[in-house]
Amino acid sequence: MSSRTTRWLIFFAVAAIPFVFIVIPIASFMLLSLFRAGKGAIIRNISLDNYVNFFANWTYAGTYLGTLLLCLQVMVVSVLVGYPIAWFIWQQRGSRRYLLLLLAVVPLFMSYIVKLYTLRSMLGLNGLVNQMLLAVGAIDKPSQIFLFNQRAVLITMVVIYLPFVILPIFLALERIPKSLLHASIDLGAGAWDTFRRIVLPLSLPGTIGGALFAFVLALGDFITPQMVGGTTGFTIGRVIYSQFGLAYDWPFGAAMAAILLVTSLAGIILAGLAVSRQRI
Amino acid sequence: MTMKSAGGTLAIWTTGLLTFLVFAVLYIPVLISMLFSLVEIRQGKILWETLSFNPYVTLWSNASVVDALSNTAVVAIVSVIIASLLAVILALYTQWEGAMGRRMLEITIYLPFLLPPIVTGLALLVASAEIGLKRGLATVIAGHTIFVLAVAYRLVLTRLQALPPSLVEASFDLGASRWQTLRHVLMPHLASAIMTGAVLALTLSFDETLISTFVAGDQMTLPLRLWAMMRVGFTPEINALVTVVLLISIFLAIVVAWRMKPKGEVEED
Repeated sequence: MSSRTTRWLIFFAVAAIPFVFIVIPIASFMLLSLFRAGKGAIIRNISLDNYVNFFANWTYAGTYLGTLLLCLQVMVVSVLVGYPIAWFIWQQRGSRRYLLLLLAVVPLFMSYIVKLYTLRSMLGLNGLVNQMLLAVGAIDKPSQIFLFNQRAVLITMVVIYLPFVILPIFLALERIPKSLLHASIDLGAGAWDTFRRIVLPLSLPGTIGGALFAFVLALGDFITPQMVGGTTGFTIGRVIYSQFGLAYDWPFGAAMAAILLVTSLAGIILAGLAVSRQRI
Repeated sequence: MTMKSAGGTLAIWTTGLLTFLVFAVLYIPVLISMLFSLVEIRQGKILWETLSFNPYVTLWSNASVVDALSNTAVVAIVSVIIASLLAVILALYTQWEGAMGRRMLEITIYLPFLLPPIVTGLALLVASAEIGLKRGLATVIAGHTIFVLAVAYRLVLTRLQALPPSLVEASFDLGASRWQTLRHVLMPHLASAIMTGAVLALTLSFDETLISTFVAGDQMTLPLRLWAMMRVGFTPEINALVTVVLLISIFLAIVVAWRMKPKGEVEED
C-alpha cells in the first residue's frame, strides 16, 4: 500500500465524524431549502421558490432587515459599553484586576435562560426598574414600557452578550507590549495620543472579534425576542422557529435559516478581512 | 503634565463608574432572584418572616425537574467525553506533517461554534428527520458534541503547538514507538489542556438551550424545563431552580478560572 493511499485512509478515518455530524446536516438543510412543503409531505422538486417568496413578501424581508438593524444596534451598544470596561480592567493591577476580570467573565458561564428570566423579572411590571422609579417618584404607577417591545429586546441582548465583547477586547489590550506604551510616553505623546495611536489600533482586532460575537449571537437568538419582545419584538429567528413548530413549513424555515447562515458567514468573513488588513 | 494626568484620572473615574454600573446590572437581577427563592419581597421590602427552604423541597420532589437534571448531566458527560476524545485525535492529526485538508477540517470543526446555534440545531433536526432518526437524548448529545468540540479542539491544539518539536524527536531517537511517544510524552503534557477544555465544554453543554430546543423532541434538559416553567409565570419554585442552576454555573466558572490562572493568561478562542 502506497503512503499516498495510507494518508487518504487516515484522512477519511479522522474526518468521518466531523463530516457526518457537521457537513452533512448543514448540506441536508440547505438542500431542504430548495424543496417545497406540500400537504403533509415535502415536494422534492428543486426550485428557488422559497427564496423568491421570502424576498417578495415584505412581512419576511422587512423582519429580516429589522433583525439586521437590531443586531447591529446590539453590536454597537455592546462595543461602546464593553470597550471602556475592558480598558478600565486593563488599567488595574494585581488582584483587583483579576477580580474584576473574573466578575466580567462569570456571566459568560451563567445560564442564558436564567439571565433571560432574571432580566425579564427586573423589567416587568413589578420589577426592580419600576420599583425604583416609583420610589424616586419618576412615575406614579408601574409602567409596561420596559417589557414586551423592541427596546426590551435590545436592552436584554446587550446585557446578555456584553461579556462576550468585554473578554476579547481585554485579551487584545493585554497583548499590547508594555514597551510600546513606554516608548510612546518617552517620545512625548500624551495619554490621549498614546491611546488613539497605539492602544486603539492594536486592540482593534479583539474589538472586531467581540463585535462579531455579539452580532452573530444576537442574529440567531429566538428565545430573547420571544420572552421579552412581545408582539412587536419579532425577529427572523422567531419566524424560523415558528416554521418548525406551528406553521410547519420546514423547507421555508430552512431557506430563512440559509439566509441567516449566509449573513453570519458574511459577517465572519468581513470581520476576518478587517482583522487581517489591520495586521499589515 | 497636570492636564494629561487630569485627563487620565477622569478617564479612569468615568470608565470605573461605568464598570460598576454594568456589573450592578449584570449581577443584581441574579441576586434578587436568588433572594426571591428564600423570602418574599413586597413593595421593595424583604419580609424576613417568610424565610423558608420549601421551594427547594418541592423542587426536589418535582419529577420533571429531577428528570431534566439527570438528562442534562447525562448529555453533558457523554458529549464532553466524546468531544474531548475527538479533539485530541483531530488536534494530533492537524499537527501531523502528513495531514490533508487541514484548513478545511479546521473550518468544519469551528463552524458549529461560529454559526448561530439556530442553524446548527436546525441542520441536525433536518438531518435526523431525513434518516428517520427519532429525536431524543442521542440527538441532543450529537448537537452538544459538535458545539463544544471547537473549544476542546482549540485548547488541545494551542497546547500541542506550544510543545517543542524536540520533545517528540527525542522520544523517537530514544527508540520509542509512535504509541509510546503519544502515551508517555504527549499525553502528560496534554492532560491539563484536555481537562480545562472538558470543564469549559461541560459549562457550555450545561447551559446550551438554542440547539437543544430543535433536537430534544419530547426529552427535557434543565434549560428547556426552565424555559417551559418561565412561560407559566413567576413562582418561588422557579427562583429556587434558577438559584440551583446559577450555583452550579458559578461553581464551574470558578473551576475554569482557577484552572486557567496559574499560566497567567486566559486561552483565546
